[in-house]
Amino acid sequence: MNDRVEKRLIHFIRENKENIYRLAFSYVKNEQNALDIIQESIHKALSSSQSLKSEGSLKSWFYRIVVNTSLDFLRKQKRLQPMDDQTLELLAPSSEDAYHDIDLERALDELPHTLRTVIILRYFEDLKIGEIAEVLNENINTVKTRLYQGLRKLRLDIGEESLEEVQ
Amino acid sequence: MNEKLERLKKQYENITIPKELDFVVEKAIRKNKGRHGIKRLIGGGVAAALFITGINTSPTFANSMSDVPLVGSIVKVLTFREFNVHDGTMEANIKVPVIKNLENKTLESTLNKKYLDESKKLYSDFQSEMEELKQKGGGHMGMDSGYVVKTDNDRILAIGRYVVNTVGSSSTTFKYDTVDKKNQLLITLPSLFKDDSYIPLISENIKKQMKEQMKKDPNKVYWVESAMDDVPVTPFQSIDKNQIFYINDHGKLVIVFNKYDVAPGYMGVLEFTIPTAVIANDLVSNEYIK
Repeated sequence: MNDRVEKRLIHFIRENKENIYRLAFSYVKNEQNALDIIQESIHKALSSSQSLKSEGSLKSWFYRIVVNTSLDFLRKQKRLQPMDDQTLELLAPSSEDAYHDIDLERALDELPHTLRTVIILRYFEDLKIGEIAEVLNENINTVKTRLYQGLRKLRLDIGEESLEEVQ
Repeated sequence: MNEKLERLKKQYENITIPKELDFVVEKAIRKNKGRHGIKRLIGGGVAAALFITGINTSPTFANSMSDVPLVGSIVKVLTFREFNVHDGTMEANIKVPVIKNLENKTLESTLNKKYLDESKKLYSDFQSEMEELKQKGGGHMGMDSGYVVKTDNDRILAIGRYVVNTVGSSSTTFKYDTVDKKNQLLITLPSLFKDDSYIPLISENIKKQMKEQMKKDPNKVYWVESAMDDVPVTPFQSIDKNQIFYINDHGKLVIVFNKYDVAPGYMGVLEFTIPTAVIANDLVSNEYIK
């Protein structure tokens, strides 16, 4: 039984490593740290795969580990956040198009983790509301509320900025 | 999905995937396969049983043989040799320790052989991983291995050997050998105690220390029950019978955990000093631990 779960888990990790990396990166914003999160998440997952009971929930379970590991890391890093070249480049306005997207991305980044995670999981990682609820260990209504809150905040922030641009 | 969200999604999908990702993932999988939450048994106790009978004390003789004429500190740890790899973005540096002037030559040569064999293995593992990484398009990779002398007093010599692996992220492992210089033998954790009751005694004390530390400093995180309702990881239950340890200069027992064993990676390699009162009843004697 354990072996089968482990095999499925390893398969899942291999198939989804790029998604997992992006998810981790979206929190820690740095290549080295994101790789660290990946390594640690795999370690946690494989060393406690016996706690994974229902077969279907593998995806939510693993995402949950990645999200929690990232948040743990951020809690620790809170006071000091160095940026690598890639991040600096990303933030530097290089072309007009990118510039607008950066405003949008910044708006997303400025959302509290609780709201941002829901948006990333729902729209970028295509998880169902029920799966997100499992990832966050919250009930479905909470997830829905956060999703609406997040979307509203995004629109609001973006909206205000476009008003300024018009003036 | 509206156009703004669509744009955000594009941004998200454009996050560059580093070429080290494959390697980090495969390595993490290989390392943890088949663990199922059970701590790997840490070797060291096996060889030790051989030496316990080989007690042979003659400090005068040892003294006359030594180039450092100091009773009790004649046993020395030196760097025996180094393995180095420099290949573009890949670098390894392995220092092999060697113990000199141990009277018990069997113990000395067994320890030294162990150090050399381990280093050779590290070196060849590094080379094959290097090849593997090259085939996958290259990347950064580094390894640093060496040793620290934690305790070196009249009675105790404690040598720690470490390996730091850097492939994108890093991992560190430590191993310790604690030698009784007077009686010329290798001290194992079980040999210090009358029976196995040290295992729960020490484990409970460590759990207590973990909780206290977490309370004092919210940045500290240990995988200990009650403090981790939200983390799907098996909490720390118990130390291994042959848990990594050493005896410090004050005669206190120090229990060591490698990175990821009982806490998230950023906590690094962890040491817990066990108050002697906690284990006093189970100690064979107060020879080493005071």
